[in-house]
Amino acid sequence: MKLPINYQLHIVRISVVAGALALTLAVSLRVTRADETCSSPYLARIDGQEEFVYVWTLGVEGLGDGQDKLVTVDARPGSSTYGKVISTASVDGRNEAHHAGFRDDRRQLWCAGLDTSKVFIFDVHTDPAKPALVKTIDNFAETTGGAVGPHGAYALPGRVLIPCLSNAKDHSGRTALVEYGNDGNYIATHWLPTKDDARGAAGAEFADGYGYDARVQPRKNALLTSSFTGLKNYMTEFGKVAADPEAMKHFGGTMVMWDFHARQPRKIFQVPGAPLEIRWAWGPNHNYAFTATALTSKLWLVYADDKGEWQAKAVAPISDVKGGVLPVDISLSADDKTVFVGCFGDGKCRVFDVSDPQHPKQIYEKQIGKQVNMVSQSWDGKRIYFTSSLLARWDKQGADNEQFLRGYTWDGKELKPAFDLDFTALKLGRAHHMLFGSSKIGSPRTVAAN
Amino acid sequence: MSEKGSSTAPRTTLDISPSSSPSPRGRRNYLTFWERVGVRAIWIFKFIVFAAIARLTIASDLLHDSDYDYDPPVPGSYALPVVKRAGDGALLDTNSKVVNLRDLTHGRVTVLSFIYTRCAAPKACPYATGVLGQLHDVTAKDKALARMMRLVSISFDPDYDTPQHLAAYSENVREAKSGCEWHFVTAKSRAELEPILVAYDQAVDKRSNSADPQGPLYHTLRVFLIDREGRIRNIYSSGTLDPRLILADVKTLLLEEAKLSKQ
Repeated sequence: MKLPINYQLHIVRISVVAGALALTLAVSLRVTRADETCSSPYLARIDGQEEFVYVWTLGVEGLGDGQDKLVTVDARPGSSTYGKVISTASVDGRNEAHHAGFRDDRRQLWCAGLDTSKVFIFDVHTDPAKPALVKTIDNFAETTGGAVGPHGAYALPGRVLIPCLSNAKDHSGRTALVEYGNDGNYIATHWLPTKDDARGAAGAEFADGYGYDARVQPRKNALLTSSFTGLKNYMTEFGKVAADPEAMKHFGGTMVMWDFHARQPRKIFQVPGAPLEIRWAWGPNHNYAFTATALTSKLWLVYADDKGEWQAKAVAPISDVKGGVLPVDISLSADDKTVFVGCFGDGKCRVFDVSDPQHPKQIYEKQIGKQVNMVSQSWDGKRIYFTSSLLARWDKQGADNEQFLRGYTWDGKELKPAFDLDFTALKLGRAHHMLFGSSKIGSPRTVAAN
Repeated sequence: MSEKGSSTAPRTTLDISPSSSPSPRGRRNYLTFWERVGVRAIWIFKFIVFAAIARLTIASDLLHDSDYDYDPPVPGSYALPVVKRAGDGALLDTNSKVVNLRDLTHGRVTVLSFIYTRCAAPKACPYATGVLGQLHDVTAKDKALARMMRLVSISFDPDYDTPQHLAAYSENVREAKSGCEWHFVTAKSRAELEPILVAYDQAVDKRSNSADPQGPLYHTLRVFLIDREGRIRNIYSSGTLDPRLILADVKTLLLEEAKLSKQ
């Protein structure tokens, strides 16, 4: 039977549309990604498992070359150098190396120094196993209008957002968010709201102008910031700060919800005790983020209520240890069910079931070391990495000053050691922020289907 | 991932020349003329289908949806700081005529998108073209806006996206006959395109699997907002490529001009 030409064309069109839809589905199901869960949603993702762990490391005087450095560790299972340092790239001097972040295309890693306010930019694209320093931003305070203490770098489309901790004028916690273009050109400075200049934000009476982390939920056009303390405090020995009632008054006690696109603060929340890392949930209907307050040892939830209004409340204590455990980093699993908390005070990782985000329950804890700071997990939740250093002057002393990168596996019930690198024995320094690297880079989370 | 000899070797910039590319260019050498036409037609049709899906996905009245679950800011209520100057370079229009990119980034508020028509990632090039199509539809109903706005789609796949190919493609994606200018341009060669890609920080790499269902090239999604002075004022990617936000930004720039002209 011969069909009329119109019919044939119609069948062809239907076939192509069906094929295209099938292709879409196939793409959605096929792509597997195992990136770190805590990074920017705009960031190009690793296809498959991470190959390298980059550790932004503080130099220690008299140890090795004494310089801050980017340490690359092989994370490829089965590799002859698995769990070993395969390259280091030192920078100029000691800068209080702290956090780092990729550009959105993952071709560069920007590593910040809290003390000197320098930002070191590494090429991690040409040879991901051997990052190379390609540029240093060394005029941060002058360029940004007085912001200092760049905390890290957060990928936005075509640009990088750098939340800061302090200012050049008085080294207090009054600070700003700064934007640079991907090629290192300065774009803008957005100061955190204060009581005197809340810029129309609700909750102006709580505003302290402090900053720490900054994270975006694209689906809600929401930018959330947290708050820590200024240069005067973080560059002073912790014992002295803790013993000085006046210094202890100068810690952040707020979080701010911003209109991300307009870069305008909308609501200021009172969150006492230095809320630090922010982790937005990934689920398509999960309109909430977690943070932990370092000085009050609590998990906090910032969430959209039934009316869509953003609210913040403490949802769980982190341990019942008297005086707190100084929770410093948290990592939320990709399925939004589990939060890992690095507790610097007692060196333990505490794991919470946050399936019900309003009612987290601790389900596990493990001693990681004498001190522990950062915790990063792979997208599939099977590999968890820990580092030890908080700040050069806040780390523990003597035998308690362990410096390490430790890799673990997680089966949902237990952390099992995979490798252990002693950064002191290796003459590297104080291990701080971890980021995952790979030669296999895909699309951002906002492009790829989960 | 293997332990030894795994891909930690330095990578070079994109090379999509016929000799180095296992497909589809190399494969095309073995196809007849009509087979080549058929392959191109399928790619065009596939891209158009995805763009159409994207266009339908974006609510026709620009209401917010589950991907963009918020109200965009009011135009003029916020600032768009200058990111940097928009890059220049020689390109080819759909009539194979040489055009300077500078002429397409000055005089009107421009929304510029880098694409390739073989892209089959639903939230990448087809989506970007769908969004530009949506903006084009809006300007078809707003003559004043149409006079002040311009759309530009630049292909970073010059070997495949020839002027003739882009001409056919543009005819299919440009639904409204009226509306603002919408230019489709490509380059004579990859070498001539490279400085433009660098200027716009547009990453493009060959995928290791040239038969990847998402298309043979990996790239970041980049759409630029450029003011009449040729300065980049915003950069969108998936997650921010909301036509309501782009329109708010376009109007913000126009209001900024009006404010400046009164001073």
